[in-house]
Amino acid sequence: MDSFILQTLNGISYAALLFLLASGFTLTFGLMRIVNMAHGAYYLIGGYVGLTVAKATGNFALALLAGGVTATLLGYLADKFLIKRAGENHLAQVLITVGLAYVVGDVALKIWGGDALKLPIPIVMRGVVELPGGIVYPVFRFFLMSVGVAVALLLWIMYRKTQIGAAIRAGVDDREMVGATGIHVDRLFLIVSGLASFLAGFSGVLGGAFLTVYPGAEWEILVFALVVVIIGGLGSLGGAMIGALIVGLLDAYGRWLLPEMSYFVLFGPMAILLLFRPRGLFGAENMT
Amino acid sequence: MNTTRLIATRLIAIVLLIIVVGLPMAAGTYWVGLVTQIFIFGLLALAVDLLLGHAGLFSLCHAAFFAVAAYTTSILQVRYGVSTQWAVPAGLLAGTSLGLLFGLSVRTRGVYFILVTMAMGYIIWGVGYRWSAFTGGDSGITNVPAPMVSGFQISTAEQFYYVVLAVLLVVLALYQKLVRSPFGLVLRGIKSGEPRMRSLGFNPARHLYVAFVISAFMASLAGVLYVYHNRFINPVAASLHVNMEAVLMAIVGGSGTLLGPFIGAALVLGLRNWVSSFFEFHLAVMGLVFIAVVIWAPGGVIGLLRRYSSGKEK
Repeated sequence: MDSFILQTLNGISYAALLFLLASGFTLTFGLMRIVNMAHGAYYLIGGYVGLTVAKATGNFALALLAGGVTATLLGYLADKFLIKRAGENHLAQVLITVGLAYVVGDVALKIWGGDALKLPIPIVMRGVVELPGGIVYPVFRFFLMSVGVAVALLLWIMYRKTQIGAAIRAGVDDREMVGATGIHVDRLFLIVSGLASFLAGFSGVLGGAFLTVYPGAEWEILVFALVVVIIGGLGSLGGAMIGALIVGLLDAYGRWLLPEMSYFVLFGPMAILLLFRPRGLFGAENMT
Repeated sequence: MNTTRLIATRLIAIVLLIIVVGLPMAAGTYWVGLVTQIFIFGLLALAVDLLLGHAGLFSLCHAAFFAVAAYTTSILQVRYGVSTQWAVPAGLLAGTSLGLLFGLSVRTRGVYFILVTMAMGYIIWGVGYRWSAFTGGDSGITNVPAPMVSGFQISTAEQFYYVVLAVLLVVLALYQKLVRSPFGLVLRGIKSGEPRMRSLGFNPARHLYVAFVISAFMASLAGVLYVYHNRFINPVAASLHVNMEAVLMAIVGGSGTLLGPFIGAALVLGLRNWVSSFFEFHLAVMGLVFIAVVIWAPGGVIGLLRRYSSGKEK
């Protein structure tokens, strides 16, 4: 029972991290129809920059900010000079963004080397929490979960209750009509894309402290985030929340109960789900 | 104009054939090995391109078929002492059976298809990597013996080169027949307008499924040849990078053509071998090639040639 609770907590921690990455991916796709495989690279670069800042200043909040801002800048440049050239062609988008991710990955390898590096956790979060029943669990992971929940709440409020959110939702449903009503679609794209890359870089910093950061981490986490998006349905924020929880928990239980087959435990249900619901749990009809 | 072009195409084909048949007599083992590798990866790229260039499906799980076939053949040979003439069909069967299963992904389209196949590819990579008791984990299967068919051992690089070449010529002939058949026409019809094909009474899902399985078989064939060429297999063969590289080869050479994937394989592998002799970060170079091709030459080498020659005709 104790290990069940422990694994559940692990699963939720990972889900929080995945949600941060997947929410950006799903919103950029929903609004702009862009498949951005460089999302993992934003995560990676955020993690590495956060690591350097955290080591230099000892300030974790500053590291989170630096990681997020660097990724936003990278995302902005990528959008402006590369991704725009692919138009609506998904194949071209994938090739360009995978190419970009390769370049970023190798540059990071050159700067930070090939070892797995752990971002220093701030001193106040280094302890453990003792739960009723005698289970001890690291404070930092509770912090991670709270960040995940807080970001989810903020995104949800923005998405459901604000003018910008309404415009985004409308844009996901029908982009041309939104443009026709006089809403500045380009500016909307800029906001969503900036938000997505910021969250990716931000999650890289958290991920660096939670899982360490190393060459290839960008692809591992990207695949998990993509599974979240597939299960939840492209373009759906609520889907990303549910999907992240499903993937995080399945991964934790899979690693615990069937370590050699944990990938099956994760991807098997996804495959079966897709046979019955090819667009995921909450995917809209017009998303392809 | 058309007849001159036909004659030119035939001439080029004959010259190419003479070059590839004569290569081992003129070139050293290094070049024979490199060209064998180009043939094998070109075959993988051609498999990917059957879906990409003709049916418009961008699959990211073909490295899985490649790897499963290679693993099956090598595990049977190395660990159970099964002979080549049984290990090879078993490998092809394993890879193609996986294709029968993963082919269910043709229920999805567009981005979902890309993402779903990518995730499925990761299952195989993950199994290869984590189920180390069976697959050897990170270090994989080593010491794969040279193939031996009815008492005759194919041991030298030159002999193996001719085996690969023979397989390749048969595959190319059949492939050409396939894409020119009504079936190939239906695939291209689905690519350019699926609703229209449906309203004409075709069942796109069934055609795509068959194409998917055929292409999984081709990828398995490449995998079996690869493991006998390389004498070693590890989870890297199932990775996304191998799959992306095959896609890159098809695009660089010219998607939707017969020889494009091979031209692409030659360029990509040649570039990689050359770059890695003086620059350790070859992935970044590959990345730049991806970006450059999409932006400046989306039709690949063959696309550029066609543009050039049709420009001259005017």
